[in-house]
Amino acid sequence: MTVETRSTQLTPAAAAYLSQPVDHCATLPWPFPDDLAEFRYSVNVDPAMVSRPTAAGEWGRTIVDLGGAEYVEIMDDRRRILDQDPDRVKLRPGMELAAWDLLLYYFRDLDRSYPELMHLTEGVDGDPLRFHWRNDLLGTDQVFVLGEWDSIPYGPFEFLAREVPDDLLLVTERDGRLYFDAGAVTFAAAWSVSFDVGMDMYEIHNPVPRLTNEGITARAEQFLMRLPADKVYRRVNWTLSGSGSRKLDVSLEELPEWGTDIPALVRDGRWGELQLRIEVEHFIRLPMTGTVTFNIRTHMASLAEIKAFPVWARQLATVIEELPEELATYKGFGDYRHHVVPWLRT
Amino acid sequence: MTAVAVERGGSRHLHPAYETAARHLRVVRVVHLTETITHFDLADPGGGILAAYQPGSHLIVSAGEKRNAYSLVGDGLNPTTYGISVMRRGDGGGSDWLHDNVTAEDLLEVEGPRSMFAPILGQRHALLVAGGIGVTPVLSHARAISRAGGTADVIYSYRPGHAAHLEDLEVLAEQPGITLFAVTTVDETLALLTDRFADQPLGTHAYACGPMAMLESYQQLAATAGWPKARVHLERFAAPEQDPGSPFTATVASTGQTIDVPSGVSLLQRLVDHGVPVPSLCRQGVCGECRIPVRSGDIVHRDLVLSDEDKSRGDAMLCCVSRGSEGSNIEVEL
Repeated sequence: MTVETRSTQLTPAAAAYLSQPVDHCATLPWPFPDDLAEFRYSVNVDPAMVSRPTAAGEWGRTIVDLGGAEYVEIMDDRRRILDQDPDRVKLRPGMELAAWDLLLYYFRDLDRSYPELMHLTEGVDGDPLRFHWRNDLLGTDQVFVLGEWDSIPYGPFEFLAREVPDDLLLVTERDGRLYFDAGAVTFAAAWSVSFDVGMDMYEIHNPVPRLTNEGITARAEQFLMRLPADKVYRRVNWTLSGSGSRKLDVSLEELPEWGTDIPALVRDGRWGELQLRIEVEHFIRLPMTGTVTFNIRTHMASLAEIKAFPVWARQLATVIEELPEELATYKGFGDYRHHVVPWLRT
Repeated sequence: MTAVAVERGGSRHLHPAYETAARHLRVVRVVHLTETITHFDLADPGGGILAAYQPGSHLIVSAGEKRNAYSLVGDGLNPTTYGISVMRRGDGGGSDWLHDNVTAEDLLEVEGPRSMFAPILGQRHALLVAGGIGVTPVLSHARAISRAGGTADVIYSYRPGHAAHLEDLEVLAEQPGITLFAVTTVDETLALLTDRFADQPLGTHAYACGPMAMLESYQQLAATAGWPKARVHLERFAAPEQDPGSPFTATVASTGQTIDVPSGVSLLQRLVDHGVPVPSLCRQGVCGECRIPVRSGDIVHRDLVLSDEDKSRGDAMLCCVSRGSEGSNIEVEL
């Protein structure tokens, strides 16, 4: 295990953090308000960094959820994917400063959110542009110069992607439209970053039923274009994963690896292995470039784990059962949900 | 369908270098650049890093009774000071107040920076045009391009003896890729604009700040040279004089209260008079601060902030200058 080989160098705080018990439900960002019975897409944004109690625990105190004891495993997975497939990182020309803007924001935030584990020293040697970053969980120790691309391995965008479990997405405004101009994405849910980068919000969301026709894409775009510089917002999205395992990388690039998972699971009736996949998105306007983040942190819990909390199982069954056909088909469970609903209710 | 319910006041950033709310900064340096233009450098009293900003951003400074917007002249990258250059206008306004009252070590209340004149991130080259004190945001753009190793043509039109920041631009122009064209008459400026618009590489964006007449020529000459509007950016000091407009009424959606707005008085003024608070700044339809949501009504848009698309949607207005059509009622979402 990777964790053990690294444990000799861990600080006491890092060792304590990584030895927490694994509990996928305790920190799961349950995606439905208590009284919700009918799910439809909406611009469901709310203030970030506000703790939300759930039936199983709580989530949302920080922008970045490192993932507890699973952090190192998640980051190993991400680094392996980035090593094997450089196309997971796409940065359109002119986005270099936005990458620094993002890196600096996240390192500053991590330093304050996890003072025992993550450390950013600013103004090294009296130079306000020189920084020192240390991540005690991964053993990262790096000095860099803001704005000097080669002062950090992989450049600032991929370097950050190798430190945080969030997929990184940046959108910019041009001629009154928002464009997806940079992405470092290893855990896409049935989409491809190298295919989508450069598209506008309407092009990206075209496959989602009802979204654009009902004006939701337009309102989401307006929200992001008017996002104030001094506030952070978040949004939660959900689906059932395209894999019946904890595999995070269900991207289109990897389709041959996971495409037959669900048919096999359905054939065997292994409903408890289905994964509720929840994405928490964070929206931050970055000051040096005006770029807006659309960063996505993916969480999962199996239906067997969900079932331990009857209030969750009941609500999920109701929502899945009620969902209009086209949305259920888009989310991928249209042809087997009639098995899932009774299973959740027994 | 669930309504869009954006809670006002999301969560604030954890790190102080993202603070843009009203706060006090210390004046650390005062330099007289010309007879009428004085430069002020401001710093955090605690020695902290200030909020970074996009080139072309402005800072709102409380100057005596006034709150004025001044362009920042730096490149915006993780700054330790904010530099503004202020021209004395001789009208007893905020700029005169700063000249007459502020010395090093004083504290000034500021808000921002705010960005209204940012560079397009994917530009391959920039044509930067400054007229008079409009040099301040142009210098900011030029410094950012210089730091990033980009290229630009810079046009600076000034009256002899009033060439604030000319030396700073000359220093930048020593770098390959940045070319400075300095001119001192209207005719030279027009000839130079015509010449430069005709000879820019593919992927260039143009940016201008200066007096109204110069900006009009700039837009005209850009159009004549075949430039699409989306590549021609500008920042105005002031909006054109507005006519007094027709009387109309406004209904406040939350209370049902109906307010008369006579000719010559702004909706903003009437809302404030009736205890409906609306934030405002320039009161000239330039800054966008007093934008309010509108539920229904026939709006006569007279601002320079909303896009044509925004205006045709009819769900928002800048209540400092825009009005209802004669005798109509506007229902405002306040």
